[in-house]
Amino acid sequence: MVQARELTVPRRRAVRTGTGRRYVPRWRVLAVFLLPAFLLYSAFIVYPLVSALDYSFFEWRGIRQMGFAGLDNYRDLLSVYPYDQQLWRAFAHNALFFVGTMLIQNTVGLLFALLLFRYGRGKRFLQAAFTTPYLVDPLVVGYLWSLLLNPTFGPINSLLEAVGLDSWALPWLGDTRTALPIVILVNAWQWVGFPMLMFSAALAGIPAEYHEAARVDGASAWQSFRRVTLPLLTPAIGVVSVLTFIGNFNAFGLVYAMAGSTGSPAGSTDVLGLLFYRVAFVEGGVEAIGRSSALAVLMFVFIFGVSLLATSYFRRRERRLV
Amino acid sequence: MKRRWIAGAIGVLAVALAACAPGGGASDQGDKSGADKVTISLWSWRVEDVKAYEKILAKFEESHPKIHVEFKPFQATEYNNILATGLSGSAGPDVAQLRAYGGLQPLVEADQLLPLDDKVDALSGFDAKLLEGAKGHTDGKIYGVPFAYQTLQVLYNKKLFSDNGIQPPATWDDMIAAAKKLKAAGITPFAVAAGPDATWTLPIVHEIFGNARYGSTAFRDALVKGEKKFTDPDFTASIKLIKDLEPYFPKDVVAVKIPDVQALFVTGKAAMYPTGTFDLAPVLKADPNLEVGLFQVPPPSGSPVTTPVTPGWADGSFGVNAKSAHQAEALELVKWMATPEFGQLYATELKQLSAVPGVTPSDPLLAEMAKNYADNGAPYTLLVNFRYGQPNGDAVFRDEVQKMLTGQTDPEAVAASVQKGVEQWFKPGN
Repeated sequence: MVQARELTVPRRRAVRTGTGRRYVPRWRVLAVFLLPAFLLYSAFIVYPLVSALDYSFFEWRGIRQMGFAGLDNYRDLLSVYPYDQQLWRAFAHNALFFVGTMLIQNTVGLLFALLLFRYGRGKRFLQAAFTTPYLVDPLVVGYLWSLLLNPTFGPINSLLEAVGLDSWALPWLGDTRTALPIVILVNAWQWVGFPMLMFSAALAGIPAEYHEAARVDGASAWQSFRRVTLPLLTPAIGVVSVLTFIGNFNAFGLVYAMAGSTGSPAGSTDVLGLLFYRVAFVEGGVEAIGRSSALAVLMFVFIFGVSLLATSYFRRRERRLV
Repeated sequence: MKRRWIAGAIGVLAVALAACAPGGGASDQGDKSGADKVTISLWSWRVEDVKAYEKILAKFEESHPKIHVEFKPFQATEYNNILATGLSGSAGPDVAQLRAYGGLQPLVEADQLLPLDDKVDALSGFDAKLLEGAKGHTDGKIYGVPFAYQTLQVLYNKKLFSDNGIQPPATWDDMIAAAKKLKAAGITPFAVAAGPDATWTLPIVHEIFGNARYGSTAFRDALVKGEKKFTDPDFTASIKLIKDLEPYFPKDVVAVKIPDVQALFVTGKAAMYPTGTFDLAPVLKADPNLEVGLFQVPPPSGSPVTTPVTPGWADGSFGVNAKSAHQAEALELVKWMATPEFGQLYATELKQLSAVPGVTPSDPLLAEMAKNYADNGAPYTLLVNFRYGQPNGDAVFRDEVQKMLTGQTDPEAVAASVQKGVEQWFKPGN
């Protein structure tokens, strides 16, 4: 009975909008539907975020909250050795991680999507195969690959030596020049299925007439891809780029499994997630809560800000397509 | 209709609340069964030691029939947070296993522990080096009864030594000659790892080879008073020893992990394993027939301390919650933990070095470690004195030493970085 009465009310108060007939229900009805999601969201997302912000403005001695510290924790993070250096080094590694992933994982993902789209044979099987590594936790993936790459017992170097490529049998994860690229490759190995699926879906949504029209106009295969397919993939590229950005700047599990909490060797794979982990949990000084909260806030603000900018940029690009 | 719904909701809520109540029901029943028996809780990070503690605590209950101790272990990695939270509320433990040195400090600063100086008389008989680990950094009060300690030394494979005609070295040069000989025979001389999981062992390797070279306790005291710095030539020279020994470590040492070197040592592919007491049990578990000996590293020429030393540190202690409702009973328990009865049980059941004075381990290797520490004990300086602030001393040290092993920095720069990191919070004079 209650529901029936509620349903009749908005009809009376229906608002006519410019284009079509749209009934805007009363705010109380809207609130009832929004409330459960809002409560869950507040309790598990907004509250922790706000409390990290709150913690970052106080001085801490262990778990005891001392006086208001203003921006001291932020200043410490940017000026106390070695965090002042590690913060920028970690940031640069995250940026490299992102660029490397865009170049390798997402480009290869697009290539796979195009090949599967054009030659449909075994599509189902290959799509499933490329996405299987999703099912494994990054920690496990990292551990397995570090076993494979182990310089003493690992099969990869044994294989290289067996085929006479001794000079290629490097300590992959123990060399400051190769460690980060290896981590980026392993990450791409795990997630390449994601851009592939996104691009496959977007390709399927492009009407075949466009390509036919391009061919009639005498466009080569490349021109057809460059001038027709790629622009129409903009929405998918936007989503993939932003999600890659968020994932890469929050990277932790895989790097931790392959390079430990210090970003071995010699910090050459150190990323912001590891720095946070060390400041918050490993080094455990009495200042830990304040400083790690400050770092968490900085990371959130940066990732959130860039994601917003990137999303609005891609929106504008999309609008130009229409 | 409506009423039934409410009744149902209340029922669900009641069940949920009952499930959340942390074992309250069980311990209440325990109280009632033994007339006026008091149940106290003991928190620990040793999930793997439940059986041993049950045996040990049964002995305590024999002599203290009015007290029942409930042993509650938590995951070691989560323990610090759980304990800090527990101690700040009303559902905390009566007695808790406490971390040592810098790990103890946050609890001390929050006034969560009972000072034990004038409450547990037996503490005056404990080794002063080990009591340091249970003291507040600024107030100097003792907050726990130390339970165990670790010593650092080189374990060696007796069979590999005799096969290659090598004796435990009497001088540094003997040790280098032995390493050369082993390397020529295709054996890794020192099982040292510096890979992703092993950076924390680098300060340990440094202590084992370099403690006497930097001047051991005297240098540490001078550091703490502010009379010396980490940039001192002796400390720099002690770091250089690691670089000098690198040719005798496994190839590509910065990619080598701890399980790798344990496997090398256990399978007889590496002859010497510079490590702590904590690795003895895992090594012997992997191969119970392995003949293991141990030696203290003889100091190189130019060392301020010319006799070999055994660096070590207190593992932790047992302290009393300042808010405990059963403080008298909790004190009874920690007092008993300072007796040789507890020490002997602890050493036997857990195969660790007990901190209680006068307890000798039955295992000959552990007994040798204990004797070495009693005779030539030295502080693991970076852990014992430089973990009271961020960045802590050994965090900077391990990163920089790993960098040195990849050829990106040198011993002078490592020492300078440690000094630079530590002096941001360290105030000399304590």
